[in-house]
Amino acid sequence: MTSFASKRLAKELSKLKNGLPPGIDLISADNFEEWLMDIRVLDDNPIYRGEVYRLKFRFSPQYPIEPPEVTFIKQSDRPIPTHPHIYSNGIICLDLLGSQGWSPVQNVETVCMSLQSMLTGNSKNERPPGDEEFVRSNRKRPRDIDFYYDDNTV
Amino acid sequence: MSEAKALQLKAEGNRCFQQGDYVGAEGFYSKAIIANPKNAIFYTNRANARLKLQLWDAAISDCHEALALAEKNMKAEFYLSQALLPLGDYDGAVQAAMRAHRLCVESGERERASLSAITALVLRCKKERWDHKEKTRKREGQYFEEEMVGLLSREKAKAVEGAEGEGEKRELASEWDAKISELRNVFEKSRAKDEQRREVPDWAIDDISFGIMVDPVITKTGKSYERASIMEHLHRHPSDPLTREPLVPSELRPNLALKQACEEFLDENGWAVDW
Repeated sequence: MTSFASKRLAKELSKLKNGLPPGIDLISADNFEEWLMDIRVLDDNPIYRGEVYRLKFRFSPQYPIEPPEVTFIKQSDRPIPTHPHIYSNGIICLDLLGSQGWSPVQNVETVCMSLQSMLTGNSKNERPPGDEEFVRSNRKRPRDIDFYYDDNTV
Repeated sequence: MSEAKALQLKAEGNRCFQQGDYVGAEGFYSKAIIANPKNAIFYTNRANARLKLQLWDAAISDCHEALALAEKNMKAEFYLSQALLPLGDYDGAVQAAMRAHRLCVESGERERASLSAITALVLRCKKERWDHKEKTRKREGQYFEEEMVGLLSREKAKAVEGAEGEGEKRELASEWDAKISELRNVFEKSRAKDEQRREVPDWAIDDISFGIMVDPVITKTGKSYERASIMEHLHRHPSDPLTREPLVPSELRPNLALKQACEEFLDENGWAVDW
């Protein structure tokens, strides 16, 4: 039901405009299909220090029953963060964003916070195994990819 | 005419309706009703077409016909509510929407898809009822203010007239002017207070739809959700949204105290529907 998603997103937006946690900024939310957010880590993690990363949220009419599609997008001043669960094309492998791990009580703000802490807690300056091959061959939308969430240590 | 003929006319009506031809649909449903006046579905379908055509009174009479044929009719209540609302029968609209909601809940999984729309209608009816009350209250406040100011102005004129000498007249006039401006101040302050009491308490908000709860149900973890929202989630994923432990609709329990608290909050704060 379309109005379900747009009503919820309208309310999320008014909450976001009232203030966001440090390191998370709303860049654009002109409609209820696609929003852009910026995140940065708050500590001195050398992998991410001084960088800001841009996230693109795409919502289906079934949001929040269905998860949003969340990817990092690259711009001249917005690189794709290096992380063992983030492919160099911006696709994120995080159970929270998969249809199994998603919960409708999550929202844009909590997703941003999860990604922020996923970066903060990371010490491996590397891409997922098979990154090059994946980026070259993948034509699927993130939600249609079967990731294995086997490694919960990173 | 035969029952088959009536059903065929209804199917024609449905086809028109799908294409947005509500006049055509209304005509076919009317013919179906002539062929068989005992089928409640023909009336509710025509009521829906008449809603689209904004024929509120005609839609209401269809809903009553349908309800006379079968007392428990979710669709008839749902359409009835939508027809009563634009006519300004807010209490009637709220009550019909709530009857539709109860029938929908009783039907369980069969009517799961309608629950969100009906819940939204309950909220809309309550919102419009509150808007109407507020408008009336504000207008009455304004009339009252003007009446009071008029009274003071007349008193002022009388006092000034009775005074002797220009100096005394001026003094009295400014005394009364001060009283009038103080009175305006008091009204102004109460209006400003209206504007700022706009805070929605978290306990009234469903964490899935972010809306005020109409029919909160509680899970094993002690957390409550709007029934329509959690049912939609459980249909896709039979798990608790917080803990991901298995959860099925039959384990949900109504949270009656919270329901009442939400109702009371909404009665006082109808604006919160669109917070």
